[in-house]
Amino acid sequence: MPQFDSHFFSSLIFWEVVSFATLFFVLYKFAFPPILEALEARERKIKDSLDQAERNRAEAERKLRDYEAKLQAASKEAEALLTQAKDRAQRLMEENEQRMMAEAERIKGDATREIEHERRRAIQDIRAHTTDLALAVAEKVVGRAFNDADHRRLADEALRAVGESNT
Amino acid sequence: MENPLHPFELHNFIQFSLFGLDLSINKAVVMMWIVVGLVAWLLVSAGRQRRLVPNKLQSLGELLVEFIRGIILDTMGQEGMRFFPLIATLFLFILFCNLLGLIPGTYTVTSQIVVTAVFAVTVYGLSLVMGLLLHGVKFIPGILVPPGTPWWLIPLMVPIEFVSQVARPVSLAVRLFANMTAGHTILGVLFGLAISGGLLIGWLPFAFTIAMNGLEVGIAFIQAYIFTVLTCVYLGDAFHLHGSEGHAP
Repeated sequence: MPQFDSHFFSSLIFWEVVSFATLFFVLYKFAFPPILEALEARERKIKDSLDQAERNRAEAERKLRDYEAKLQAASKEAEALLTQAKDRAQRLMEENEQRMMAEAERIKGDATREIEHERRRAIQDIRAHTTDLALAVAEKVVGRAFNDADHRRLADEALRAVGESNT
Repeated sequence: MENPLHPFELHNFIQFSLFGLDLSINKAVVMMWIVVGLVAWLLVSAGRQRRLVPNKLQSLGELLVEFIRGIILDTMGQEGMRFFPLIATLFLFILFCNLLGLIPGTYTVTSQIVVTAVFAVTVYGLSLVMGLLLHGVKFIPGILVPPGTPWWLIPLMVPIEFVSQVARPVSLAVRLFANMTAGHTILGVLFGLAISGGLLIGWLPFAFTIAMNGLEVGIAFIQAYIFTVLTCVYLGDAFHLHGSEGHAP
């Protein structure tokens, strides 16, 4: 086999060592550090991005829960406010109604009393007028006015008549 | 028929010697330079990009680096990353030697036993040195006597483990060399058959060469991968004595 021809061994070994050393040096100096660095940078970047995404997701979830709780609280509060307002309106309405009714009752009572009063006065007036009128008519009929003495005499006569009829 | 081993023959382009050593430039040496230039260009320009969203070149470079990093982390763990530059260079050098050798007219550097042997001996020697530095002298009995061995088995275990240790660099070197040589030899044989068979029957071996070439691309990857994994396993053994035994596929 030509590979066992020791004639070429020295040059092959020498140039192999030289070539390998050259390649090692070049790669060690200029190729491996930047490539490994780029790989690590990418790994870091991916890891950071994933971590960040996870953090964002957790944050978003927490916010969602917060908002949901807030929304629920707000809705409860609104409901309470509404009930309260309704109650108050109802109470106000009832109070108003009662007051109105009382007022109406009072006005009615006042009016009734007034009317009654007026009626009585009117009756009295009528009575007085009637007496005066009767007296006037009687005066006319009698033809002369009774004086005091006449009155007294008439009254005495009436009393006597009454006394006589009693005995 | 043409000799199927003909493609493995080397001829010096430039005669050149230093201190009595023959350092002539031949096809294999030129191929090494091409591999070095190509890998350096590819990886350095991939490293230049530094984009968060990589383009194609950067993706390729990062894919290779990530692949090697995965092998090291799987076999040696985080502490193995100290050897990343060495192991990555080894993988890329062997991979591109294997792949470029498949282009017709080029030379497969890794089909030279001396080339693979230098890598294998270096890797194994490094693992021994690492072991001695980390564990001191007790590293030697540590690798020769597996933990939990009954005392009366020690005379048996020491030779067995010694052979297994010696087999490591030998198998590492021979596996890569043999795979590369065998693949190209088969291709050579099939091409020889295709040419000598003529049009009537020659299309059959020619079709096989196409299939074989596809297979060879896979083997080029797999052998570079195996060499790298075993390197990691041997170096890892130096870290943790008998932590994980490497078994050659």
